[in-house]
Amino acid sequence: MKAVHYLNQFFAGLGGEEQAETQPIRLDGAVGPGRGLAAALGGVEIVATLACGDDYFAEHEDEALAALLEMLAEIEPDVLIAGPAFGSGRYGYACARFAAAAAERGIPTVAAMHEDNPGVGEAGAAYVVPTAVNVAGMRDALPRLGALASALASGREIGSAEDEGYLVRGFRRNYVAEKTGAERAVEFLLAKLEGETRTEVGGDMDRVEPPPPVADLSSALIALVTEAGCVPQGNPDHLQSVRAQGWFRYDLGGADTLASGRYESVHGGFDVTLANEDPNRLVPLDTVRGLERDGRVGRVHESLYTTTGNGTPVVVATRFGQEIAGELRDAGVQAVLLSGT
Amino acid sequence: MLAKEIERAGIPAVYVTSLPTVATMIGANRIVRGPAITHPFGLDEDDRKRIVERALAMLESDVEPNTVWEVE
Amino acid sequence: MAWELATFSTDLLREPEAIKGVDVEIVPPGSSVRVTHVLDAVEPRIRPDGRAAFPREGRGGEGRTNRLDGVVVLSCLDFPGEERPLHEQESIVDLGGPAAELTPFADMTAVVLTFSPGDGGHVEIDARARQTALSIAEEIARGALDGEPEEVERFELGAAEESLPAVAALIQLSDLGALYIQYVYGTPAGEAGLPRAVDPAEVLDGAVTCGEYHWAAMRNPTWFFQRNELIRTLYREHGKTLRFAGVVLMRGYEQSAADKQSAAERAAAVAAELGADGVVITTDAGGNSHTDVMLTCRACEQAGIRTTVVLAEETDPQSTKPILTDWVPEAGSIVSTGNVEELVEAWRPERVLGGDLLLDGTPAAEAGPIPVRNYLGAANQMGQLALSARTE
Repeated sequence: MKAVHYLNQFFAGLGGEEQAETQPIRLDGAVGPGRGLAAALGGVEIVATLACGDDYFAEHEDEALAALLEMLAEIEPDVLIAGPAFGSGRYGYACARFAAAAAERGIPTVAAMHEDNPGVGEAGAAYVVPTAVNVAGMRDALPRLGALASALASGREIGSAEDEGYLVRGFRRNYVAEKTGAERAVEFLLAKLEGETRTEVGGDMDRVEPPPPVADLSSALIALVTEAGCVPQGNPDHLQSVRAQGWFRYDLGGADTLASGRYESVHGGFDVTLANEDPNRLVPLDTVRGLERDGRVGRVHESLYTTTGNGTPVVVATRFGQEIAGELRDAGVQAVLLSGT
Repeated sequence: MLAKEIERAGIPAVYVTSLPTVATMIGANRIVRGPAITHPFGLDEDDRKRIVERALAMLESDVEPNTVWEVE
Repeated sequence: MAWELATFSTDLLREPEAIKGVDVEIVPPGSSVRVTHVLDAVEPRIRPDGRAAFPREGRGGEGRTNRLDGVVVLSCLDFPGEERPLHEQESIVDLGGPAAELTPFADMTAVVLTFSPGDGGHVEIDARARQTALSIAEEIARGALDGEPEEVERFELGAAEESLPAVAALIQLSDLGALYIQYVYGTPAGEAGLPRAVDPAEVLDGAVTCGEYHWAAMRNPTWFFQRNELIRTLYREHGKTLRFAGVVLMRGYEQSAADKQSAAERAAAVAAELGADGVVITTDAGGNSHTDVMLTCRACEQAGIRTTVVLAEETDPQSTKPILTDWVPEAGSIVSTGNVEELVEAWRPERVLGGDLLLDGTPAAEAGPIPVRNYLGAANQMGQLALSARTE
């Protein structure tokens, strides 16, 4: 099995700070710390070492990554090893970004650096083995780095962060616990009654700050977006009632109202009878047009965006949201009235 | 999720829903509570006007994150 | 001695038959078989006293019930037409391969019933399929009426130390309308006077049956009530680490925010009547049933009853943000029953039962990777299994 080892200019023996602008270069076999890794790597051989100056990477990240990934692709290793970078921020960053890019391309990758190294947050799906803050920790780091690299190269399933010695990356991964969920629930509840709160998942959410309010609605372009599955009668684009596969944009054509019989709801999560009697109950076009005539709002965007917010996985709904948001922004929309259920 | 992504793009959005706890969980910031899942803007035109006006007022207001307004 | 023979006429052939036929396959344990379009899983049960194993009246949880160990009835049906409740929500049980650990059925003998729907709407088709599957589960157990049992478990709540904390289980049952209904003594959950307290043994003794076919991994087939791990654990711990205060059944998918809130408050009130110091709150299926659970959690905490909630996640495996459908700050103690978005690697079974094509048209024998989401009960939110998720 083959490994590629990434080092900065210093550890690759090319020189110190004066060589920090070195462009990506390929060296044969193991170099410097790579030789120390050999014992821990078992049947995995470092066939090439890729090196890059820390400053060059920092200043020309795209070019550096492109060159390094191309070299990597030529070699087709079973694992990429980056570092150890210890506490060096630029080196850690380069290791992490290269590792993340390789991991994205399906190459098993492990980097090594101090847990406070800013590179830790940039490693994406790559593993990061923690090290001491400076090179005095080399002898301690190499066996651990080698062991995980060897495991990755072998293709075996990698266990928990705790078991395998890598830093928690923040990904949720399924595993089969020793006890059933029921037993764990009773245990947790009894602990809570003793004053100790334990949980297996928390509410640490990705929050978006509220945008500033609309300065002047009377001159603003306002768009109507709905998750209530409101579509033209007959659902011409076959929007799903559940687990929507897409969103659709419909031209309101200056209509004053969503007429019953011209629009319907195909949402599969609630009784749509009332909505079909009067689709304005889901998307209040008649009201908003009236406000447009009265000057309360500037203009109603003639595109109605619609999807079904029923059982759509969050990852998919987020993508829909980003796509719709992109169109709204490009159209100069300044405010959105979003209909849920 | 739609509300949050629209807001992430910098466009103020107000979300009218009868399930504000879901909305706050997902992270929408301007939320107006509607009366029912089957008719979040109410049943008749007068209900609609009141609810839409409340929603517009929210678009014109500074809010703390995850704020839910009721409609009188 | 005389003998009488009485004749009745029948309309059998004149009524449209909701079910045209059923194929029965008996699959030995550990078989390389994928079962698709699975509606329900049922443990064979029969009562020596002749009462129904799945009663529609009276009360379960008394006297004796016989069970057949190591056998499960899996009912399969592909609803015809456009309004397929399983649309995009395929329900699979793999009896071998990497997903075998996501089900309790892989080391059992599976009696697989594949129904051919006939005429009639989905409601009739479903009703016939359900009745037939439950009847077959009872018939299969008929052999258990002879001979001596290998084991007899006694479910009884005797006196327990007052100083032990009182714990109740709040068990959510879906009712989102036809084909998304859990039944209490044959009555849809939404019409069964929920939330209300029941004897825990009633749940174990066939009082709850499944007629709910969405959210395959996150929902609860009949078998999960018959063999309910949470109730069994609480019986086991009664008198040792806790006092088992009882079970409250509550409905998921109350249809308005006001109904949800009031149901949550009533569930908390019933738990308080039972004298619970703490409750484990379980969830059924996905979507806004999670809102019902969270509101119930908040109502209990506000009433001074501590809570632990059981939930599955829907987290993007590429992201570091765990995703729950709903959440309230009071839900500080949550058991995760796994992330349904994670993919199970592809597997080629030797045989497919239920239907050769998955609902999205892919040949079932060649499908994959398939998300956990589509495996029946794999991430069930009553804590029946041991799947969980952790941050790595």
